[in-house]
Amino acid sequence: MQTKILLDEDQIPKRWYNVQADLKTPLDPPLHPQTQKPIGPEDLSAIFPMDLIRQEVTTDRYIDIPEEVQEVFRLWRPSPLYRAFRLEKFLKTPAKIYYKWEGVSPAGSHKTNTSIPQAYYNMKAGIERIATETGAGQWGSAMSFATMLYDLECTVYMVRSSYTQKPYRKSMMHVWGAECIPSPSTRTNAGRAMLEKDPDTPGSLGMAISEAVEDAASRKNTNYALGSVLNHVCLHQTVIGLECREQLAMVDDYPDVVIGCVGGGSNFAGISFPFAGDKLSGKHKDVDIIGAEPASCPTLTKGLFTYDLADEAGYTPLLKMFTLGHDFVPPSMHAGGLRYHGDSPIVSRLVHDGVMRAVSYHQGEVFDAAQTFARTEGIIVAPETSHAVKSAIDEALACKKTGEDKTILFNCSGHGNFDMSAYDAYYEGKLVDYEYPDALIKEAISRIPKIS
Amino acid sequence: MRRIGFLINPVAGMGGAVGLKGTDGNVEEARRRGALPEAQNRAKVTLALLARESGIMFVTCSGPMGEDALVKAGVQNYQILYHYRGDSSARNTRQAAMAFKNAGTDLIMFCGGDGTARDIFDAIGRDLPILGIPAGVKMYSAVFAIDPITAAELIRSDDEPVLRDSEIMDIDEEAYRAGQLKVRLYGIARTPGSEGKVQIHKQVFEERDEERAKMEISRFIHEIMIPDVLYVLGAGTTTEAIARDIGVNKTLLGVDAIKNGSTVATDMNEKTLWDLLRQEHEAKIIISPIGAQGFILGRGNQQISARIVRRVGCGNIIVVATPHKLRETPVLYVDSGDSVLDAEFGDTVLVVSGYQMAQRKRIYQNETIQRKVKSSGTHENPDRPVT
Ligand SMILES: Cc1ncc(COP(=O)(O)O)c(C=O)c1O
Repeated sequence: MQTKILLDEDQIPKRWYNVQADLKTPLDPPLHPQTQKPIGPEDLSAIFPMDLIRQEVTTDRYIDIPEEVQEVFRLWRPSPLYRAFRLEKFLKTPAKIYYKWEGVSPAGSHKTNTSIPQAYYNMKAGIERIATETGAGQWGSAMSFATMLYDLECTVYMVRSSYTQKPYRKSMMHVWGAECIPSPSTRTNAGRAMLEKDPDTPGSLGMAISEAVEDAASRKNTNYALGSVLNHVCLHQTVIGLECREQLAMVDDYPDVVIGCVGGGSNFAGISFPFAGDKLSGKHKDVDIIGAEPASCPTLTKGLFTYDLADEAGYTPLLKMFTLGHDFVPPSMHAGGLRYHGDSPIVSRLVHDGVMRAVSYHQGEVFDAAQTFARTEGIIVAPETSHAVKSAIDEALACKKTGEDKTILFNCSGHGNFDMSAYDAYYEGKLVDYEYPDALIKEAISRIPKIS
Repeated sequence: MRRIGFLINPVAGMGGAVGLKGTDGNVEEARRRGALPEAQNRAKVTLALLARESGIMFVTCSGPMGEDALVKAGVQNYQILYHYRGDSSARNTRQAAMAFKNAGTDLIMFCGGDGTARDIFDAIGRDLPILGIPAGVKMYSAVFAIDPITAAELIRSDDEPVLRDSEIMDIDEEAYRAGQLKVRLYGIARTPGSEGKVQIHKQVFEERDEERAKMEISRFIHEIMIPDVLYVLGAGTTTEAIARDIGVNKTLLGVDAIKNGSTVATDMNEKTLWDLLRQEHEAKIIISPIGAQGFILGRGNQQISARIVRRVGCGNIIVVATPHKLRETPVLYVDSGDSVLDAEFGDTVLVVSGYQMAQRKRIYQNETIQRKVKSSGTHENPDRPVT
């Protein structure tokens, strides 16, 4: 009985898988925020390098991973796939549970899978500096690591509530040579406007994105980088699912259920797109793909599938996605990386088309699951990741009821070593079960003549 | 130097120990049954922890109403501002509180029960923060610290305390002795909150935070109000803030009704509310949990009776509360006087706590009654919030 299923370094994927190639109809195009007309590559060229813009829109099924990027990936890829024997035994489930462990990367999460290629393409395009945002600090530290490797400067706008809650993420960024400032800040017009409106705002990912975009757009040597949501980010993350498919094949298995937690959708996309491709092509029609999100920010389960801005100030294109509204400010819960009003347009589309589905959980119950996981498998996961753990446990317990021996695969997106204050709050009984009051809002929308 | 007014109701808690349901108007009977003054012992725990605080000056009453306990606890930094003779009474409590206030006291700490809280509130209202060391028989008011040690911790901090609204409850003593609980919301005082132990900047932030949370709740509720629906607003400062956002006045302690942005009725009793609802085809109730325990129904919102809730429908109750209030009340209670209806509320309730934000809170449910309701199945309410 094999616990760790390992690939050799030369089995690191050589190509990313692009699920856009297998969509029945093309994605709805991003629209210009002012003209509401579809945007072209030149609209994005002020803040993104052309290689990434091309990846954003291409419908090629496979895209080569540059040698130089594969080189860096060797530091932690291929990541291990674990069979969760101890968890299975604890749950007394007939199901087989596998988890892909992305916490082995230097920054501690899947985020480096895209920060490396993003920094690489920017370096190649002659860019000298990156401006980006970070929610919980995972993306900011992953980008700091990547920009350091390619000798780029990096400024990270960190959502203010996390900036104070998670000082060690900030320290990591410093170690890797990046600058980290709390958002909203007085550096940008967007930040100043937000502070004027509300000096005590805890900040949000939407606000921080506006600041980073403005920073990048107003400097010639600077580009912007986003850690989730966009198509090219989801594309880069597919190394996760591609490796999983190989690893499961090594033990003669294929998942019945694939699970990831969902903030902007990138790690979920990463583990699931290769399997969604199998589903779309009819090779594995029955695979059940589940995104797990917080009840306080339930974009996929309670949002509307419509065009909305990706940021607060309105600098970004309008994306067709599930959204709670770009002005929605989620509460300061511990899974800071899941506090985003929208979601990846591709994930949204696949959920809308029924290829994937979503579930939502309260803070308290996901920490129960995280504790169970830590006490069986040993790993203390990030609060974001705990949503996927919870969903996997739920699926395994459902199997116990029905007696089915399904194969459950979930993405263990990152470790929680810098989130111990969240665990402390859990043990002190201080976790609040925030929930989006969906019924009240939908009733109002349907019955009030006009609601903004 | 902070000046803390301190007073004891020397007879508080005496009734409880000897099986009486309160001590007010019952002191002789309590003494006859052998009750010993309990309040002093409780207060001593708190005072002993504060005895060596150099930054605190106590102002107090003579003898059993204060001085005795301070001396026993080893407090040296005190001054007697109020003298009285013979057995103390409610009048003495009110006069002492007034004397503290006139002497420029920062906060009044008292040891007693709901009756004592009411007497102090009568004298000083919201002018000074009030903190109770629990010692009475009945403590439904929210001014009490959880225990005497916590009371000391709330006082001990060097900084300005974070203040929160706390309901003072009025229990009908006659009815209570007859085995009936009739609790009315008497007033809303100011009390140091449990966040009072952190540094000053944070506190100022936090305090402003609660007002901000009320504004956010109000903005949200206002936005989702549906035309031609009657909104019944229960008691408290959160519902008051909602009315303010709409642009109407609301009675702080009463139940008012609003429709299409205008006040329809104020300070209704159960009967007038019932009559009003009978003319309306659709209504919603907006209420806030009240009191130390956090009652959604039954304590402080009595006007909203079981038949009123049934008429409106459980699913049309919108519960609102600031995150600060919710932090103090881990579990909420429903006591509508109709245990079947109480059970229909289920195990959890959604409480709107900000703009487009709510918290899922547990409701205390008596398991026996729940089981009965579930097995009979007759009262299932499809509108009930999902659990
Ligand atoms: C460990 C971890 N998992 C998941 C996420 C959510 O992001 P995404 O949905 O893009 O994977 C984050 C974001 O910060 C994260 O840090």
